[in-house]
Amino acid sequence: MTSLQTTAASNPGTAAAASGSEPRIRVKGLGKHYGSLEVFRNIDFNVGEREIVAIVGPSGCGKTTLLRCIDGLIPFDSGEVLVGNQRVTEPIAGVAMVFQHFGLFPWKTVSENVAYGLRMAGAPKAEIERRVPEFIKLVGLAGFEQAYPYQMSGGMQQRCGLARALAVGPNVLLMDEPFAAVDAQTREILQFELLRIWEERPTAMIFVTHSIEEAVLLGHRVIVLKGRPSGIHEIIDIDLPHPRTRDTLRKPRFAELRERVWSTLMREAREAEFVLER
Amino acid sequence: MSEQTVTVSSAPAQPAAKPAARETRAPGTFGPRLVTGVAILGAWEFVVRALAPAYVAKPSTVVMAFPHVITDPAFLKATGATLAAVAEGLGIALVFGTIIGLLLGRSVMFERAIRHYVNGFYALPMIVVLPLFSLWFGYSGATRLATIIFAAVFSIILNVSDGARSVPREYMEVARSFRSSRLSTLFGIVLPSSMPYLLAGIRLAAGRALIGAVVAEFFLSVGGVGYYILYNSRSYHHAEAFVGVLLLAAFGVGFEVLVGWTTQRFMPWYRRGDRG
Repeated sequence: MTSLQTTAASNPGTAAAASGSEPRIRVKGLGKHYGSLEVFRNIDFNVGEREIVAIVGPSGCGKTTLLRCIDGLIPFDSGEVLVGNQRVTEPIAGVAMVFQHFGLFPWKTVSENVAYGLRMAGAPKAEIERRVPEFIKLVGLAGFEQAYPYQMSGGMQQRCGLARALAVGPNVLLMDEPFAAVDAQTREILQFELLRIWEERPTAMIFVTHSIEEAVLLGHRVIVLKGRPSGIHEIIDIDLPHPRTRDTLRKPRFAELRERVWSTLMREAREAEFVLER
Repeated sequence: MSEQTVTVSSAPAQPAAKPAARETRAPGTFGPRLVTGVAILGAWEFVVRALAPAYVAKPSTVVMAFPHVITDPAFLKATGATLAAVAEGLGIALVFGTIIGLLLGRSVMFERAIRHYVNGFYALPMIVVLPLFSLWFGYSGATRLATIIFAAVFSIILNVSDGARSVPREYMEVARSFRSSRLSTLFGIVLPSSMPYLLAGIRLAAGRALIGAVVAEFFLSVGGVGYYILYNSRSYHHAEAFVGVLLLAAFGVGFEVLVGWTTQRFMPWYRRGDRG
């Protein structure tokens, strides 16, 4: 365990090194309690300006809580989060989140939902009218501008959620298990859609998932969260070439890395599965 | 016409895209409904003819009275006065009820401060405040308006506050993540999310407003449908009074239809039993 923590501690620097610039997000010594329950402690990592960091962990390990802390949605107890040079204490401009529950407003059409972030940011009307169709097209929803969420499949709804986040022109995207609520085929399609969009408009991205495959496919690095309270167990560099496509899935290196993350995680998962509640 | 009305009012929030359900249901229910209606009217006619004096209203005399009552300028004026007062009172109750309800549902401070008063006033029979209102506002339309507002506003407040409290947490989270201001969250997210509750509140409020208007007219002798009914029944014009009663019932049905139509037309996203 100590040796693994050393890996973790020595790793944050490599993000900046890999992307060749200042990190966009710096998470330092982050800790969070819910009452007497400690969710995670001592979380340290950076995300480069054009880097996707995937976070995997067994269910209940606090990955979603961690992401909400980074977004400033919920307070944390120790450490700090810096986006650029700004300390996060509440949601800040330039950071956009995509939710597992989609979070679309049922009384708004696709257009209105996509415009929501821009409107809240106080964008002028002309800019909203220009950007909304652009991002609807980018996520492949052209022709569905006037549809309501209840009329759309889960995949379409999450495309809409993605367009809403992208429309505000964020330099940080926070993805909270965005494809966990859609079926397997749609999920695969959306993963490659996301990669295509990211190649077009690269940002810093934290992608929380419980799918190892997804983490390895999308991430430049994969962070494995461990235990109770959870901490960073290991940070694994994913040296698969970009752009990643369906071919990536067939590469031996992909399988190797997936096995590597799997074996790390499974030890944890087994421990987590057989823990009795206190 | 009557079949149409009945179907629409019993399912006001059905999406328009289900004509099949409507067609299969209507013929099955219409027959029994008609039989019941005819039986009630027949029994009424028979009992009144057999046992009561001639001036007591029975279906045949009500039907006879109908044409001359609804073309009577006095009746039309009375109807207009009552309807206008109800509409005005409902409008005022809607605006204030919605704002107070939203604050009540979302602000703990506000909730602690006024919850018990709202519950208390809601439970208060509106007729007991009439003597006070008549002292404050005089024997006039102003007292009727005040009674209508009093009758209507609390059911809107309570329903909207329930709606505001049950806004899904996801919506609030998204609003916060996109840096929505408090005011814009309240009116842009909490209010539309509470819309189904608000509609239920308006339905209740409309019924109570109508009762408030009629009771005020009875008590104050202010011109209106209520006073028209009272005056005619006291002067042995029972059939005429009954036309007024039927008109009040028609208000209720008409309002239901209006609310149902508005829901379908302007809130296509709202389907009953389909909310998360």
